[in-house]
Amino acid sequence: MGIIREKKPKSSSPSSTSPCADLRAAYHNCFNRWYSEKFVKGQWQKEECVAEWQQYRACLSEHLEDKHLSRFLEAEGLDGTARADSANVADGAETNS
Amino acid sequence: MVKAYAQEHVYKHPWEIVTSASWRKFADPENKRTLSHVLDVDTLNHKLDAESGKLYTTRAITIHAPGPWFVRKIVGQDICHCVESTVVDGQSRSMQLTTRNISLQKFIEVEERIRYDPHPDNPRGWTMCKQETSIRIKPLSALASMAEKVEQRCAERFLQNSVKGREVMERICKYLESESRGITF
Repeated sequence: MGIIREKKPKSSSPSSTSPCADLRAAYHNCFNRWYSEKFVKGQWQKEECVAEWQQYRACLSEHLEDKHLSRFLEAEGLDGTARADSANVADGAETNS
Repeated sequence: MVKAYAQEHVYKHPWEIVTSASWRKFADPENKRTLSHVLDVDTLNHKLDAESGKLYTTRAITIHAPGPWFVRKIVGQDICHCVESTVVDGQSRSMQLTTRNISLQKFIEVEERIRYDPHPDNPRGWTMCKQETSIRIKPLSALASMAEKVEQRCAERFLQNSVKGREVMERICKYLESESRGITF
């Protein structure tokens, strides 16, 4: 089990073909920070990274060629899949408590 | 025919750290060498329920899954798109991910479910990960005659990748913990 040496983080994103890679990295970095520093500590009242998300999403909707995938992008709010999952989480919560 | 298997793993890190690591698992370029089968991850949709503290996210995961030659010949492609939906319940501290393939569906259906919950023996310090995978070759597809073989290969691949996935998770957890020591939690 080799430990992979830490290189300088995020200096360049290697081999990504997506033209949205930079916007994606900006959004994901912002999201990850928000998730670890706010969300898990109960500070979920305010949505953050909104500007990053809007720019990234606009790029995606322009470049996402796969029809199966754009279906998920177009759905405002969330589709059936996610709703089914949230129902499962509710089930799980009941069995856990 | 369905092949299903379940795995459990205990992370000796708190739920907050482990679920943070789960978000970073594919996105961090550092991990791309270990999880080289994951080519791209895009967030397609997300929704925050500010009342209940639930976060819903849909991501697209592009996977390179070349498979054996006889499968390649039939399937004709080795890139597979998957859709991952995640629900994080911040209040009850649970994270559930469901990943399904959306390409190659006429041949095969793979569904992977992962749950991260605080470990009952040490809810503040450890995290229980439960993973279930089911693999189903469509009965009338061109792969049906060799279903068993394909399912076996697929299951082996999944097992290999989940071991790699855990290594990556451990590494990110350690990184996040060393980082958070500098910050007051």
